[in-house]
Amino acid sequence: MSSTPSAAAAADSLRRNSKRPKYSRFTQQELPACKPILTPRWVISAFLLVTIVFVPIGLASLFASRDVVEIVDRYDADCAPSGSTRDKVRYIQSIADKTCNRTLTVPKHMKQPIYVYYQLDNFYQNHRRYVKSRSDQQLRSQSHENDTGSCKPEDNANEMSIVPCGLVAWSMFNDTYSFFTNNSQQLPVNKSGISWKSDRDHKFGKDVFPKNFQNGTLIGGAHLNKSIPLSLQEDLIVWMRTAALPTFRKLYGRIEVDLQAGDVINVIMQNNYNTYSFNGKKKLVLSTTSWLGGKNNFIGIAYLAVGGLCFLLAMTFTIIYMVKPRRLGDPSYLSWNRNPGGH
Amino acid sequence: MPEKKGAHRSRGNGGDASGCSYRLLDSAPSSRTIQLGHIQPQAPGHRTVFCNDREANYIAKYLGNAVSTTKYNLLTFLPKGLYEQFRRVANLYFLAISCLSFTPVSPVSPVTNVIPLSIVLFVSLIKEAFEDWKRLQNDTTINNSPVDLLQDKRWESVPWKMLEVGDIIRVKQDGFFPADLLFLATTNPDGVCYTETANLDGETNLKIRKALEKTWDYVTPEKASEFKGEIQCEKPNNSLYTFTGNLVLQKQTLSLGPNQILLRGCSLRNTEYIVGAVIFTGHETKVMMNSMNVPSKRSMLERKLDKVIATLFGVLLTLCLIGAIGSAIFVDVRYYYLQLLIDVESQQFNPRNRIMVFFLSIFTLITLYSPIIPISLYVSIEMIKFIQSTKFINNDLRMYHTETNTPALARTSNLNEELGQVEFIFSDKTGTLTRNLMEFFKCSVGGETYGTGITEIEMEVAKENGTNSEEVQNPSSINRDKGFNFDDARLMCGAWRNEPNPDMCKEFFRCLAICHTVLPEGEETPSKLRYQAASPDEAALVTAAKNFGFFFYRRTPTMVYVRESHVEKMGKVQDVSYEILNVLEFNSTRKRQSVVCRYKDGRLVLYCKGADSVIYERLGGGNDEIKKITRVHMEQYGEAGLRTLCLAYRDLSHDMYESWNEKFIQAKSSLRDREKKLDEVSELIEKDLNLIGCTAIEDKLQEGVPSCIETLSKAGIKIWVLTGDKLETAINIAYACKLINNDMKQFIISSETDEIREVENRGDQVEIAQFIRETVKTELQKYHGEAQKILNGPSRQKLALLIDGKCLMYALDPTLRSMLLSLSLNCSSVVCCRVSPLQKAQVTRLVRKGANKITLSIGDGANDVGMIQAANIGVGISGLEGMQAVMASDFAIAQFRFLTDLLLVHGRWSYLRLCKVVSYFFYKNLTFTLTQFWFTFHTGFSGQRFYDDWCQSLYNVIFTALPVVIVGLLDKDVSVEQSKKYPQLYKEGVNNTFFNWKVVGTLAFFSVYQSIVVFNFAVISSTSGLTPSGLMLGHWDVSTLAFTCLVITVNLRLLMMCSTVTRWHNISIGGSVLLWFIFIFIYAIVFIDKGTFFTIYVLMSTICFYLMVILLPTVALLGDFIYEGFQRWLFPYDYQIVQEIHRHDPDPVCPGLLDIGNQQSPEDERRYAFAMLPKEKSKHTGFAFDSPGYESFFASQQGVGTPQRAWDVVRRASMKPQPREQ
Repeated sequence: MSSTPSAAAAADSLRRNSKRPKYSRFTQQELPACKPILTPRWVISAFLLVTIVFVPIGLASLFASRDVVEIVDRYDADCAPSGSTRDKVRYIQSIADKTCNRTLTVPKHMKQPIYVYYQLDNFYQNHRRYVKSRSDQQLRSQSHENDTGSCKPEDNANEMSIVPCGLVAWSMFNDTYSFFTNNSQQLPVNKSGISWKSDRDHKFGKDVFPKNFQNGTLIGGAHLNKSIPLSLQEDLIVWMRTAALPTFRKLYGRIEVDLQAGDVINVIMQNNYNTYSFNGKKKLVLSTTSWLGGKNNFIGIAYLAVGGLCFLLAMTFTIIYMVKPRRLGDPSYLSWNRNPGGH
Repeated sequence: MPEKKGAHRSRGNGGDASGCSYRLLDSAPSSRTIQLGHIQPQAPGHRTVFCNDREANYIAKYLGNAVSTTKYNLLTFLPKGLYEQFRRVANLYFLAISCLSFTPVSPVSPVTNVIPLSIVLFVSLIKEAFEDWKRLQNDTTINNSPVDLLQDKRWESVPWKMLEVGDIIRVKQDGFFPADLLFLATTNPDGVCYTETANLDGETNLKIRKALEKTWDYVTPEKASEFKGEIQCEKPNNSLYTFTGNLVLQKQTLSLGPNQILLRGCSLRNTEYIVGAVIFTGHETKVMMNSMNVPSKRSMLERKLDKVIATLFGVLLTLCLIGAIGSAIFVDVRYYYLQLLIDVESQQFNPRNRIMVFFLSIFTLITLYSPIIPISLYVSIEMIKFIQSTKFINNDLRMYHTETNTPALARTSNLNEELGQVEFIFSDKTGTLTRNLMEFFKCSVGGETYGTGITEIEMEVAKENGTNSEEVQNPSSINRDKGFNFDDARLMCGAWRNEPNPDMCKEFFRCLAICHTVLPEGEETPSKLRYQAASPDEAALVTAAKNFGFFFYRRTPTMVYVRESHVEKMGKVQDVSYEILNVLEFNSTRKRQSVVCRYKDGRLVLYCKGADSVIYERLGGGNDEIKKITRVHMEQYGEAGLRTLCLAYRDLSHDMYESWNEKFIQAKSSLRDREKKLDEVSELIEKDLNLIGCTAIEDKLQEGVPSCIETLSKAGIKIWVLTGDKLETAINIAYACKLINNDMKQFIISSETDEIREVENRGDQVEIAQFIRETVKTELQKYHGEAQKILNGPSRQKLALLIDGKCLMYALDPTLRSMLLSLSLNCSSVVCCRVSPLQKAQVTRLVRKGANKITLSIGDGANDVGMIQAANIGVGISGLEGMQAVMASDFAIAQFRFLTDLLLVHGRWSYLRLCKVVSYFFYKNLTFTLTQFWFTFHTGFSGQRFYDDWCQSLYNVIFTALPVVIVGLLDKDVSVEQSKKYPQLYKEGVNNTFFNWKVVGTLAFFSVYQSIVVFNFAVISSTSGLTPSGLMLGHWDVSTLAFTCLVITVNLRLLMMCSTVTRWHNISIGGSVLLWFIFIFIYAIVFIDKGTFFTIYVLMSTICFYLMVILLPTVALLGDFIYEGFQRWLFPYDYQIVQEIHRHDPDPVCPGLLDIGNQQSPEDERRYAFAMLPKEKSKHTGFAFDSPGYESFFASQQGVGTPQRAWDVVRRASMKPQPREQ
């Protein structure tokens, strides 16, 4: 039996010299895998699953959206003299009193808080030139006060840095609204907490105060109170979070009183902001919210539609499979079996 | 005799008329292939080498013997490597984009483009460096192989690279010559040595080289160190077959020719050792001068890719144009809040200069939309291919050959997916299809068939007929001679004496033992003696005789000595001598060979062996039964792929012989038309023969060749055999490989016709050329017409074309080329015989360029190098000594049969995977870019980016990069076994089913759909507050939402594309999505000044976000899902059906099985098989006497100091034959 170990040793050395590749599941491409095959059963099940999941979500969203009460009032046309655009522009650029009264009727009971938005139209807050024209460093801390390089053309006025610089800040919205009930009782608008907390806490400095703002030859929009730090100038913070689309809403404030159906609300507004130049609409929006946010039927409808569509598709596929059955893995469907001899 | 091989070479000079056609072909701009035998003009001048005197040679500053095949060195790596990288249009494009992104027109910061580009370049350069490093290692191995150098009167082992011109070295048996040497001395007494040039020209027969007599003595180191010769010779050149020079030795000038030169790359055979002086070294050796830069090949898919990229670029420009026009229209002073009149960045938005706005916007948008062209595509593909080749192909146990200890080797990783689209295979014969090993396999004696072996072909047939592979008798472990694979107890060990026809058996064995031109060599015992035969067939026959007890052991010029056993009595051994009176040699017209011999007892017999056609013509009357049965046997053998020879004898009367011999001597000594006269005289005696029987020799195919070829042809691959052999051999092999069968319509275009020979005999070169051209033309036209008729007819008969080199030369003429091409494309197999290496390359190129098909060449010798490089894919047979083919190849495998794995498994998978990878890249980048594009419409065409810089740059390299690589590596639609079981699946690759414009179009459609869904759905969410707290989402919130959904969608889409889902798929896809979240979680905290600051936290605090993240991918992928559901059910691909058939099969993971399957020797396999010979009549009987070296073996040595031909009867004829008394 002495030969066995030596033979084993020989075999061992042979193996060591061998260039035989070592076995591994990876190199032999034999990794365990599941092989999903899109069989009709799978397809129909998937569709039905989507239906089952989506329809309830859709319904819930729709209900949530339906509970939201929204009042939209376009006022740009009515609060300016009728006539050509040029007239309106001239009016808005004049120093005349631009107070405008609007009356809104509450269609349904609105539970507080009622959010007040302004909505602008055709306003390209996402224009490349506009988006770029701001200095986040400057907004954040006083030490970067002169970081206005990116703010052109609103970087300097009277050879001094503007704080906050840039087109975005410069063109800040400056219409104001006051709300009164039928019996002339003012509905207070709470303007705190209308911006994202992260912006207030981190992006806008507590030690940064407006400086040299709107001192240029051209005045774009709102003036800022020089004694209030930027982190508390919530209108500015809201405005500076630029919108994705040229039609956008921005939060103006909150009315923290319930409004009853049929209530009439008088709005006294200062129609200061020039959207007439570019034919932009201005709207005032009052809205409640649900767990899903504001009035938004889109999600609900989308969910319902997809759910419904999937149900239809499941039916369609079932019908197709019944009309044109094909045994799973039928070799006669192989191309070389279908037209033998040919290539 | 300047046989055809030689003739082809001389044509390479382009000297004669036929050379012109070559040059026309060669002048094609892309012909960068090596052309053996194509001689470059030599620079005038000569070199002088002082042997054994390094100082004297030092002045001349000859190159060292080290060779380098690397592309780069340390210094040139960076510039050259970068240059290579930027030759890729895509990289150049991204370089331009990167430059552009530094300008103010760019909407994105430079990092967006620079980072991905740098990563891409870095990875590519690393890969290049790695590959070059491997080349360097290879060179180092070669440069460091040891050789014995003469130093201080001793042989010192030094590495090859240390050799210098003028050194005296010793090369031992089977060693390779390290440089081009002047042959000085050898251990063989007559100053000759044998070399094998398989590496240079693929010829495996040995070449004889003879040293000058003056130098014979310098064998011992002491003597050799006294050698002070001075060699004056030509400058280094690439002509393998010429050499001129002089050796000045002891003030004598001796002229040197090619016979004294031993070339690098050849190896020494049958010689203990030789001593030589180095004359050309390293890159100046002839073999190195013949090789050249390996042309880098690009795969079809990559070329297609270029087109798609060009299209994408077109799309990009269109998008930019639309955007730029929009931008020019949009800019207007009325948007006062933009203060457009104030110049901020070079007039880009100046409403008063809209043309400027237009042009600058184009640049802006190009940088914005640049990701439409997937930057990481190339590097991902490269990585995937690299891993595919190094990890999968190189490590595949199924392609590991145990006997030669050789795994497969992918020498380039560029062409993996091309392996999945091969339509034509050009195969060399010797060494590739066959082992060049002839084995005596069966025989038929006196109407009785003997031999129980089963050829591979029979096994295949049996398998096909479903016959159970019963274990037939097991010949156990008989230690057989090489060339003898015969087993039948009825004939062995003298048992033939009990057979019905023992006399016939005796004649049969004697014929085998006597009628041949074999030289015995070595000790005269059956185990030690070796036969030197011109063709392996002959050796096999003589070996067979030995095994039957008729041991041929000595030859003198007049005698043949045979040790016969069991003749008189069982067990009795006696030495018998036969006087050989005449040898009627073989040539291709006669197709037979005869020997007239005289027995000791004075009996005069003519033994003859030859092709059945010629022997049957010359048989005498009677014995019809045997003739008939033997014919049947021969047909059976032929069908089984065996090469047959008929044996016959004739008893001669003394008078008749004497009178004939007179004529023979006369003919032999005639000066004009000797050959012809000899043939005529031979006819006189080779008649009235008695048929003994026939032999069947197996031209041993490489293992598994027929089944491999069959599988491949089922896969729709057409296989062409290009061989230097004769037509008959080639046909034989084609039959044996099942390339041709008798059901096929065969078109034969041969120059071996009587008409052509007649014209050739007249000797007028111009006339010959013209005549052959005309013949070829008419034949081509005729066959072309026939082919069309058959193809249009109902018979569906398959076609085969057989053409020989000489005809091919004319058929390749530009005027006939197209007809040749269209004819051969209609044929399922084509055999080209007698072709030169150059023609091999030309044929390959003809199909590659002319038909624009993907071609693969496979070969093992240096004569295949041209063909290997001319084809889209070159495959070399490795594991043998020859490395030339492997060095030129793209893939090296040990066995022809591994082609099935290489093509059907690796190739198919690679193709499939890369198609998926490439289409996925397009899809994801197009989708990404289109979301940007839709956004442009909402930004007044200002080119504002939708996504954050970093998101954009990392989208390609991080968030969507890894999963697609995993798919490119691991995806497999059907298993290895199924790939081979259903070779037809391969056609999907050949037809390019998975990456054509239809696929790209479908992808683009869904891309557009998905981008619309993702963009619009995400943006709608910003129109009304999505938070219960009434806050509104800004631009960056929306873009983060969109980006999240996009990443999820795109990754899920990949999951939908997978055929298999492994753990790694899940990890990588899940990981990519997770990575995005991790990234944005960190990014949104760290970079306060970015718009994305805190966005994700804001988003994730709303329920709406989650609803969106569910909704968007679902809607986006719904389209694909519906499409795939319909497609799979109504128009399934073949692979999908196969998947369904095998859906319940367990994973074939069984490492143990592999070991057994791999080590099965052909004998083992044979054991299992059981043959069922087809009953149908075969028209073909293989004819064994035409192996490649047969004529050229001795012919090539004329004037080389041919060793005395022992049977040379001319010499004998002058001696008066001793009349013997009867």
